[in-house]
This record gives sequence, structure tokens and C-alpha cells, in this order.
Amino acid sequence: MSDLVTLAIPSKGRLKEQVDAFFAKDGIVLKQIAGARGYRAAVEGHPGIDVMLLSSSEIAASLANGDVHLGVTGEDLIREAAPELETRVALLKTLGFGFADVVVAVPASWIDVSTMADLDDICAAYAARHKKRLRIATKYTQLTRSHFASAGISDYRIVPSAGATEGAPTAGTAEAIVDITTTGATLTANGLKILDDGVILKSQANLAQSLLADWTPAQKAAAAAFLAPLGVELSE
Amino acid sequence: MPSFPTYGPDEIAALDGVAEAVLGVMGARGYTRHEPAILQPAHLFVDRSGEDIRRRTFELTDPSGQELCLRPDLTIPTCKFQVDSGAAYPARLCYHGLAFRHQPGAGQFWQAGAELLGLADRGAGDAEMMGLAAEAVRAGGVKEFSMIVGDLGLFHTLVDALDVPAQWRGRLKRHVWRTGYFETLLARMVAGETSSAQRAVDALHGLKLMELKPAIDALIDQEGEAPLGGRTREEIIERLTLQACDEAAPRLDPEVANLILAFLKVSGPCEAALEQIRSLTKPVAAKMLKPLAAMADRLHALKALDIDPERIRFVAHFGRNLEYYTGFVFEFWTRAGEVAGGGRYDTLLESLGAPRGTTAVGCAIRTERLLAARGLT
Repeated sequence: MSDLVTLAIPSKGRLKEQVDAFFAKDGIVLKQIAGARGYRAAVEGHPGIDVMLLSSSEIAASLANGDVHLGVTGEDLIREAAPELETRVALLKTLGFGFADVVVAVPASWIDVSTMADLDDICAAYAARHKKRLRIATKYTQLTRSHFASAGISDYRIVPSAGATEGAPTAGTAEAIVDITTTGATLTANGLKILDDGVILKSQANLAQSLLADWTPAQKAAAAAFLAPLGVELSE
Repeated sequence: MPSFPTYGPDEIAALDGVAEAVLGVMGARGYTRHEPAILQPAHLFVDRSGEDIRRRTFELTDPSGQELCLRPDLTIPTCKFQVDSGAAYPARLCYHGLAFRHQPGAGQFWQAGAELLGLADRGAGDAEMMGLAAEAVRAGGVKEFSMIVGDLGLFHTLVDALDVPAQWRGRLKRHVWRTGYFETLLARMVAGETSSAQRAVDALHGLKLMELKPAIDALIDQEGEAPLGGRTREEIIERLTLQACDEAAPRLDPEVANLILAFLKVSGPCEAALEQIRSLTKPVAAKMLKPLAAMADRLHALKALDIDPERIRFVAHFGRNLEYYTGFVFEFWTRAGEVAGGGRYDTLLESLGAPRGTTAVGCAIRTERLLAARGLT
């Protein structure tokens, strides 16, 4: 194990650009390391920080497992990867971009359904009538389970979805979905509507600290020095 | 982190001894032993018990992508075997084996169990199963125990008898065992709920019954190409029709809510508790007659089993937190915790393909806990 502090940031797309801009604003410059095929970077003036470029969901999983010290990714992915958040990951700072709501959406033709309580009725009636559970397509298994449990719903089953979740009710692979949305336009285009109390999480990009990673005093000092210009302090 | 216990020669001999005694009781009463596969298709459990059970189930995927699980209970596969075999009813089946759940400590536990399937006389089935469980616990070496009994059928009858908006009856019945959530639910009903779906219902008020279907059809048509997501139009029409037949802006009468809360608080030695239920439900006494008589019969059967009525608690809100249970439930307790439990699950067999109305009552006996309870006395 090296003595470096590992910082994981998104490796591509709009989120990567926004993260670069966020650091640059406070004078922090990330430099790609030659020959590392774009998967590693260094921070000018902070030799103790080792930057790894990963996919957003890998960053969340690495934070949850303690494989990296710090990371930037969506709160939705972090909460999904770390159900017992308080013991595993500290959310240090919201970054003001990467906004997305995790929502429960049902077919718009269900004109008798607008709340989780309605959905609860439907789940029970569906199980009684069709002798099987109503299916919810999602990639957010953990968030879905805890939100449905708090709404008292258990008569359903989760169908894991890898992508294009909003198409599941039309394709007939699920009755309703839990997915992220920014404007709701994609949901509307697929004939879905968000329940009145169906917003599970209002998410955005976060700078987060893994509590399970090994932190030596030297690593803590290096991380603190790196975070200071951003106005961020490490959690204990 | 779970624990991974290995049983030594003394422990396994002791467990075998208890299992033999318990299975001996069941065998003597005509229950034949079965051993379902440990590895089961996940949907068998998820489709019947929902996500609550699934989050406690060890799931895995085989190389072809099929979702499998380690059996979280033996009741469902045992019942499925009976249905698939086409054997005659009534049927008496029993088992002793490991069940697997995500839980603190070891993710596995031993249990024996018995299923009495397709006996039309429910009262006789209840008495037989409680007697079997009591005898099995005693044969397992535990003579000192107390019991808890409950019957959510009483609550269901009460909700149907009281002046509760029809569309809310199902909600009250489903959530009665969710302490905290249930009280909030009642309070929301007393306050009167409104939502955007309620506005769809408001638009339907004043229509005659025969005008409702075309009006609802037109509302669904307004949503254009939106998918129905596995529901049929008839399901939507039925639910909205039920709601439109309730009063506009339904509310739950606070006195009805108070009666429900008082009913659910009843808990104590069985005879006094049942008397309390009788006096509380006097306004709807005629409708409560049948389920109250059934409960009195069960207590009578327990007396015949030489179980002291003072050690039997009746708890009005007691339902086992497993969703296929349909009403009457019982548990046997010792200082080592719950050692046996069971009850009725009269809809499970139909969901597995048996003819409609095929009854089921069963019990499970925690053989490891019997050993622990023996050690404490």
C-alpha cells in the first residue's frame, strides 16, 4: 500500500468536464500522467494525491468499500452502493452540478394512482389478481427497497435493469420503475408519470470521503492540505 | 460479519436426538417426511412473499442467468411438492432441515415443520396443529412454555363491519402489523386524504353506475399511448368505481378510528382478553360472532391439551410477519426465545396451482432453540 491519498474522479463525459472546472476554479490543476492511458492523473503542487479516473458507479463502489480515500460522484450512486452510509462514506461537499432526482414513476394511464399509498393498493390488488408480484424495474435496488419499506409496500418485486429503464413498462418487462430524471421529459415521452410523493432522492455530484479506507496521519495531512482551498474539511 | 458454525459430535448427536423425537411425534400422527431441495428457484418465494423476504434471502444466479436462492423456508417448497404431485387431500407432510436467511449470527437454522393441507374443517385443523406443536415441543424435552395466539381474521371482520370507506379497508388490513406506520395511516384517514388521483375520482361523483365505465374509459384514453404496465383497463375501472361509490372526499370517523385502536391494544391472558374484545365490538356483535366463536373453540382445544390458560396470551394485533399467513397464528415461547410457531395460510396453495379454497395450516419447530431451552431449565 502506497502512502498516497487516492482521489477518484469521473473518467469521461460531461461530469468529468464539470469536475475539472470545479477544481480549476480554486486553482487546482489536474495533469494527465503520460503513458497511463488516461486512467491516472496528478495534482500540481500536491505530490501526495494520486488521481484515478474511473466510471461514476465504480467511484461509488470504491468509496463504499474503502478502495479509494476520496471521490467525486453522484449522491444517488453513493447511497446505492453504501446502504449504511454513516459508517462507510462521509459526504463532504455538494458540488452544484450533476443534478438528478431518483423517482418512482408509473404508467400515465394509471389515472387512479398518484401516491405511494395508491401504489400500495395496486401492488396488493395485482398480487391477488395475477398471482404474481408487481414488478419494479430499476438499477437502484437499495434505494427502492428502503423507500418502499418506509411507505409500507412489500407486495412487489424488483427487476434489475441495466439501462433504458424508462422503456420497461412499454416493453412489458416491468409495471413501474425507479429511475433518475432531470427534467422528466424522458419519462413523459415514455408515457410515465412521477408519483406526488415519489421523489426518493434529490441528488447531485458530491465530494466524498471513504471512512473504510486506511488513513495514516500523513495521508490525512496531505488530504487536508489538498482540500483546504476548496473550503472542505475531512470527517473524523 | 456472519458466523460459520461447525457442529461437533456431541452437538450433532443432541440435535439428531431432538429432531428424531419431534419427527417421531409427527410420524405417529400420520405426517410423512419430505426433504425439499436446498437450492430453489428464487421466484417461488419472491412472488409469494415480496421484497421483505427477498432482502433476507440468499440469492444467486446460475450460469444460464436463472435466479436461484437457498430456501428461506421449507413451507413453500413442501406445499408446491404436494400441489405438483397431484396427491389426494387432505395431506399431512413434515420435514426437518436447514433454512437460510440473512440475519445476525449464522445465516442458517434448523427447523422441523408440519403442513396439514386441504382439510375442509378449519377448526379441526387448528386444533390438530396446535396439539401437534405442543406434543412435539414436549417430546423435544421442553415442558415449560407459554403461548401467544392471535387471529387477524377478527380484525378483518371488524374492519368490514365498521363504517370504513370501502377503498381503505384493504390498506387497514394489510398494514395492521406495521406498528407506527399503521397509526400514521389511521390519522391520515381521519384527516381525509387528497391527491391528484382523488381529483379523477371527484370528477366521477354523481354519475350513475352504468355511466362510470365509459367515463373512466375516456379518462384513460386521454393518456394516449401510455402503457398499461401489466394491469388491465378493467382493474383500473374496478378500483375507480369502488372509490366513486364511496362518499366524495372520504374521511374516517374519529370514533371508528378510536375503536380500531382500542381493539388492537387488547393483549393479555386469553379468556379475559377475548371478553374484552366481545364488549369492545358490541356495536357490531352479530358480525363478530363467527370469528369469536372460532377463537373460543381454539382456546377450548388448548385446554384439552393441558396448557394453562393463564400462560396463553391473546394479542389482538398479533400476525406473523410473513405475508402468506391469512389469519390465525400461534407461537410457543421459552426463556430461550420462540421455539415453535405456526398458523393458517389458506391462500398459499391456490397461488401454487391447487383448486380454489384449498386450506392450509402448519407449524415450524426450531429444534436448535429447543436444545437451548432445555439447557436453561
